[in-house]
Amino acid sequence: MSAGLVLILVVVGAYVAAHLASEWLARRYLIVSGAEYLLLGILLGPQVSGMITPSTVGGFAPFMTLAFGWIGALVGAQFRLPELMRIPRVMYRVAWLEAVFSLAAVAGIMAATLSWWFVLEPAAVVRPAIVLGAIAVASAPAGIALTSRSMGQSGPMIRQLSVATAIDAVVAITTFGVLLAVTHSEPLSTVRPPTATEWVVVSIAVGLLGGILFHLFLGPERKVDRLFIALAGALILTSGAAAYMRLSPLLPAMLVGAVLVNTSHSHVEIRQVLGKVERPLYFVLLIFAGAAWQPSSRGWLVPVAVLLLARTVAKLGAARFAARWTGVLPALGAGWGMGLLGHGGLAIAIALNYHLHEGSALSNVVFTAAIVSVFLSDVFSARVVRSLVRAYGGRVAGAARRLAHPRTGQGAP
Amino acid sequence: MRRLVILVLLLAAMRLILPLGAEGQGSEALLSFGFLILAAYTVGEVAAAVRLPKIVGYLVGGLLLGPHVLGAISANGTEQLTPVSQLAVALIAFLAGAELRWGEVRDRGVTLLKMMSTELVVTFVALVGLLYGLRGLIPPLAGAPPVEALAFALLFASIAVVHSPAVTMALLTETRAHGPVARTTLGVVLLADVAVVLLFSATLAIVQGFAPPEGGSAVVGVGMVLWEIGGALVVGALLGGAVALYLRYVGRELILFAVLLAFFGLEIARLAHVEVLLTLLTAGFVAENTSSRGDELRHAMERSAAPIFVVFFALSGAKIDIAAVAPLLPLVIPIALVRGSAIWMGTRLGAAWAGVAGPERKLAWMGLVSQAGVAIGLSAILADAYPGRGAYLQGLLLALIAVNETVGPVLFRRALSKGGELAPENGAPEPAPAPAAAVVAGEPV
Repeated sequence: MSAGLVLILVVVGAYVAAHLASEWLARRYLIVSGAEYLLLGILLGPQVSGMITPSTVGGFAPFMTLAFGWIGALVGAQFRLPELMRIPRVMYRVAWLEAVFSLAAVAGIMAATLSWWFVLEPAAVVRPAIVLGAIAVASAPAGIALTSRSMGQSGPMIRQLSVATAIDAVVAITTFGVLLAVTHSEPLSTVRPPTATEWVVVSIAVGLLGGILFHLFLGPERKVDRLFIALAGALILTSGAAAYMRLSPLLPAMLVGAVLVNTSHSHVEIRQVLGKVERPLYFVLLIFAGAAWQPSSRGWLVPVAVLLLARTVAKLGAARFAARWTGVLPALGAGWGMGLLGHGGLAIAIALNYHLHEGSALSNVVFTAAIVSVFLSDVFSARVVRSLVRAYGGRVAGAARRLAHPRTGQGAP
Repeated sequence: MRRLVILVLLLAAMRLILPLGAEGQGSEALLSFGFLILAAYTVGEVAAAVRLPKIVGYLVGGLLLGPHVLGAISANGTEQLTPVSQLAVALIAFLAGAELRWGEVRDRGVTLLKMMSTELVVTFVALVGLLYGLRGLIPPLAGAPPVEALAFALLFASIAVVHSPAVTMALLTETRAHGPVARTTLGVVLLADVAVVLLFSATLAIVQGFAPPEGGSAVVGVGMVLWEIGGALVVGALLGGAVALYLRYVGRELILFAVLLAFFGLEIARLAHVEVLLTLLTAGFVAENTSSRGDELRHAMERSAAPIFVVFFALSGAKIDIAAVAPLLPLVIPIALVRGSAIWMGTRLGAAWAGVAGPERKLAWMGLVSQAGVAIGLSAILADAYPGRGAYLQGLLLALIAVNETVGPVLFRRALSKGGELAPENGAPEPAPAPAAAVVAGEPV
């Protein structure tokens, strides 16, 4: 029997088994679905069974690029202004502060760690350190959603965590996208290579102009199935264009998503279409992320351990600091940042995008760190959120309303 | 107008992007893929506005944007998208199989078989006669002994009779037609798909006696042909059974499953050396008729297939080499006319033999003119077996396919319109029957 057939049989069999197992685990122990696909990818990949060869992984690079774009668009599609306006401002302030401080803290710690551990010049570790910072900022919404579903509520704590997760995603994607643009290597074919600033502009312009172009393209279309073709084309083109220019597809696609949901009358349908393909693409991404992983030839245990520790401390510290700064600490509680410790698809997407882009030993350390973090967080993130909601749920609402509208005590509509 | 502006903007965007990039990680394929979806889809909308089938728009869009005209998509870009075409073929075959109901096969199988066999025989004979008659005008046959000329005329005709399941399915999807003309055409096309593989293989085996292959890979044994067909039925049935089990015991992530299934079907058919289309067609038929949840899978498959279909037809258009086709048109147009007339006559005779009295008796032939992937595949085998004369005939066949690929959908749509089977939004004169089955994601591809 050929390797190709074995590969497909194993993928299908493992997919079914993994799916059944994860359903049972999610029901029984509140474990978020995802890690099993990563594990499956590692088992199928060159490091264990070798059923997915490195060339196969390379051959599927366009699918991974598309998955990055799709994830970016999903993040962008959360930001519809009329809906954002209904959320108390204090929630955004808390979220932004938490995200920025987490990013700075983790990037700084990791720069020092990488420089010390691998005996490298500071300039050589700035890029991976910032990528690790971006990865650390990203928080998975899956645990929050699972808790929300299992507890049958979507109270203020869930809402604050959701806002923080969305802002975390924006900060992570923007940081990573701008980083790849600023440190862009020169293309061979142009007369004058674009400057770093121009690459940033190109990266943003692909997203914004793409969003406007696809807004024109979609027009008054409301039928979900026709939207699917147009959206798939738009995201494939945007992601392909970004990858072709050696930029991250995440940032332009996020901008496309944001532009479309804010300018199109079909924003509900657009989200619906994006959501329908999210899971399949995410799982494919996880499988190939697992297959692409290779244990680093350089010691990765220490940097990974430091990242996990730094992220935990930075998230908890930044969350606490942000809540104190904005005066909602009594409402949110000191440990509310624990709800943001979940790590998921976005972290993997950034890490894999960086790994495929860079392909160096350090990028593999970054990728390994993201994989380990997602594994661990899938196990406990939903349980942590549940305990948080039980402990503090409801307390934030009054405080948030008071801060947003001190005289009336009413929140935004 | 808006669509044309978008098309110009897309072209301009591609012109801006291309100098800034570098090849790697298949990024050009993704860029070409996205561009083709949007651009071909836009041309398809323009075609729909002038009452032409959208797939004609996709073809024309691919032709215009492809490497032989505007060059917005490079030859390398189209080459990199070959897996997308293969995936589309697999999805189309599965969907076509899932369209067939066991009850319908039982009730109308003999009727369809009579129509198909008569149409094939009449068309085959007419084309053999025509090509033999025109042999003086065809360079590689001009000086050949009569027996060899006849042998190559047989080979040519065995490929020229082929229909296109892909175009048929795509148009039924687009128009949501579900009446007797649609069902009869689909049935004949699917049956003919099996028959032409047998016909071509048998012809090639016979011709090898008169004109030994110039290439090395063309020896076709009876056992091999039987396995290709019979094995496809067995492998397809097993695959369909596995799909039914999945639907029963798991039934989740159907979009991902649909794409995996198509890849799996392609791979297993290739490994088992069985006919790909027939394997997936059988799988679709078995899955649909043995599972209560077949409709859900079909819908998921239709949804994931929609952009792939757009690209499939756009790529077909992009591969048409105008410069190569144009000089052959004086020869190809008479052949296309004779082929069309023979299909008309054969279908009418077959319908009379089978006692068919409905509108399909007069209109079904119009759905049988289209040609696409299967014919292209067989012509490649011919060129492989006979690199000299076969290669010339391949060029002639590709030109013929280009004509039929463009004219066929227009004729089929007209037949569906005349039969009153178009859904209202497709410009039907009257409401069409409920689109229970032939819907790709509820809308045209």
